[in-house]
Amino acid sequence: MAPEQPAAAQLEVFIDGEAVQVPKGSTVLEAARQAGSYVPTLCFDDRLEQFGACRVCMVGVEGGGPPIAACTTPCVEGMRIDTTDATARRVASNTVELVLSELPRPPAPHTELAGVARFFELGEPRWRGARHEPDEDQRHPYLVLQHEMCISCGRCIRACDEVQGAFALTATGRGFSANVTAGLDSGFRDSTCVSCGACADTCPTDAITEHLLLDLTSEIATNGEEGEGSR
Amino acid sequence: MSRNLTEILRAEEPQSPPTALDVLKDAVADHGELTDDDRRRAARLSGLPEAAVYGISSFYDDLLAPRGRRHVSVCTGTACWAADFGEHVGAVQDALGLSLGERSADHGISLGQTVCLGFCHTGAALREGDLVDAGPDVVRRVAAGSCREAPEPQGTSMLDEPVLLREGDWSGLRSALERDPAELLAAVKDANLRGRGGAGFPAGLKWEFAGRAEGDEKVIVVNADEGDPGSYIDKHLMERSPELLLEGMALAGYAVGASRGFVFVRSEYPRSMPILFEAAERARDAGNLGADIGGSGFDFDVEVKEGAGSYVVGEETALLNSLMGLRGTVTARPPFPAERGWHGKPTVVNNVETLCNVPFIAANGAEAYAALSPGATSGTKLVCLNERFASPGMHEVSFGTPIEVICNTIGGGLVDGHEIKALQIGGPLGGILPGTRLETPFDFDELAAEGCMVGHGSIVAFDERTDIRALATHLLEFGAHESCGKCFPCRIGLQRGLEMVRQDGPVDRARLEELLETLELGSLCAHGGGMPAPIRSLIAHFPDELGVA
Repeated sequence: MAPEQPAAAQLEVFIDGEAVQVPKGSTVLEAARQAGSYVPTLCFDDRLEQFGACRVCMVGVEGGGPPIAACTTPCVEGMRIDTTDATARRVASNTVELVLSELPRPPAPHTELAGVARFFELGEPRWRGARHEPDEDQRHPYLVLQHEMCISCGRCIRACDEVQGAFALTATGRGFSANVTAGLDSGFRDSTCVSCGACADTCPTDAITEHLLLDLTSEIATNGEEGEGSR
Repeated sequence: MSRNLTEILRAEEPQSPPTALDVLKDAVADHGELTDDDRRRAARLSGLPEAAVYGISSFYDDLLAPRGRRHVSVCTGTACWAADFGEHVGAVQDALGLSLGERSADHGISLGQTVCLGFCHTGAALREGDLVDAGPDVVRRVAAGSCREAPEPQGTSMLDEPVLLREGDWSGLRSALERDPAELLAAVKDANLRGRGGAGFPAGLKWEFAGRAEGDEKVIVVNADEGDPGSYIDKHLMERSPELLLEGMALAGYAVGASRGFVFVRSEYPRSMPILFEAAERARDAGNLGADIGGSGFDFDVEVKEGAGSYVVGEETALLNSLMGLRGTVTARPPFPAERGWHGKPTVVNNVETLCNVPFIAANGAEAYAALSPGATSGTKLVCLNERFASPGMHEVSFGTPIEVICNTIGGGLVDGHEIKALQIGGPLGGILPGTRLETPFDFDELAAEGCMVGHGSIVAFDERTDIRALATHLLEFGAHESCGKCFPCRIGLQRGLEMVRQDGPVDRARLEELLETLELGSLCAHGGGMPAPIRSLIAHFPDELGVA
């Protein structure tokens, strides 16, 4: 399809009809961002290795196949991506609604999750089943881990491993009980945590945050101010 | 587990066992439950961070429930469920006075559950230590402390010359070693050998990808984590024809250029591991494994490793994580294992039965292999029938054999005049075929047209007494319990699906179908992606009994 042969290390793909040149090895998400098309994400943080867990970055591919996860799919020459594909959007939206349904309370308005939920115009989730039980770990002087707000996106773990190299965090459990913890489930202080805050910085739900910020957050929430939910 | 951590592990030449998982398993075997000291020790010996070890210790069934001096596991698999609709699970709890996952106060006895012990031909199965007992009165025997070894299934081949139900004689390897590895690869590609573990991917292509991938050292991994409830095919092959499997591995190694292989056996099959060990030892003594096999210059040897209780570890990326001693969660592909697998090396992951087909192809060629089958798919397939059949057991059939023939001619119909209400074919991710569609040929495309799959080849019959809503609940309990928890649709969606069918009222059909679409299209692997298939079948064929409205 491409009229001109792109340079050897470049690929040409089409995002929502617009041709973009991307370096070989780029993901569909990178191409979409280069084209200026918004693709919502939850487990993605461009400082970290992609993870492919949240399935919120689903997009359509021309050719009628099932939607793909933009963050983990490499671009192929001539690929045509529809970021607004109805099926992909429906799957992504239903997934975000499932995520909201596991939390005992809505995420604070300034969080990334709240922003993605607004993007999909999601209100109160339709699901009424099991939710995470409140379980707050306040053993650290200022880092607090609210297990019940964890959505197992793995960003904190990857930030700890890849940005800080402290290896203090791990995923725990499996299935609906999956969560995250520090050290031998012993709290940040009794782990290899260096209190850098990279985990809190990347957390899309404030499951890990700072005590002081928690207080500010509730003020912002009462004032009804909303942050930009998406990066 | 972050990718970074996996990469660090991959970069380090892991020649020095044990893995963290090995250390944790040994600790449970030694004193029945894990302590933080055990976790610290596992971290020290494996080189993993303590947090990562904690994560591993919270993932696997075998590491979670505390064990007494006697440890009993009750099978909650689908074939055992079809036998008595789960009555044995309640009965053993009553008889021992323990709930699932509980240990007696004096630590004398503990009770766990396990999804499929591979005795689907006998009815309700229980395990104590390494002994599996099954069939009528099993609960009474376990309670009395007098377990006895359950009978193994019979295997019969419908072919004049069995391809799979035979002892390996290493003639395929000898024949291959006389020729160039490229000839063997070409033969396996021409034979169009499709994977028998569920996905049906052409084995020859996988080999070719791994063979071409960058990296001097290549690895063959046998996926012997046959977790599909109702399937005992790989168990049978490992225990009855272990040398056929080892020969298939060596052939894969020769074609790909690998000198090292692993068999990853699920821990629910206590008899398989020792048999494989012995067979490998025999093969080494006979010069069929080891250095310079048959004076050809080709080196190949195998190690046998045991899993720790997780269904999703049967998915290839999760299996490789588990083989490296990590949490058995799924990793997004690409990269595929053929490119970056075990510790970063190009790795072929093949199912047991797939590899057991290779010696025939090596000895007789692709044409002879294709000629075995009147159906579209080359070769033969093992199918296994559950206890509901009059003649349950393992049968080698040609692709294309009508399911009616498998069920009624070979399986003898159901016991005691019961009738087939429905069949689940190929495992828990396979669709459900109603008893009115038995004329369907057993082959990939024909089953797919019915919303079903060849899968692992298991055929679990549900008789006319089966409550369809209870069946849906059983299936989704399994799905939710076994979700690895990585991708969001599967982690939360299977829980929501279970809640929908477990409550008493009607099931909102539109909402259920929306959920199934999210699972099918959104999930990272075939677990969340496949669980909708049987539920969709139930909606299509038994909407009233399922209670959808």
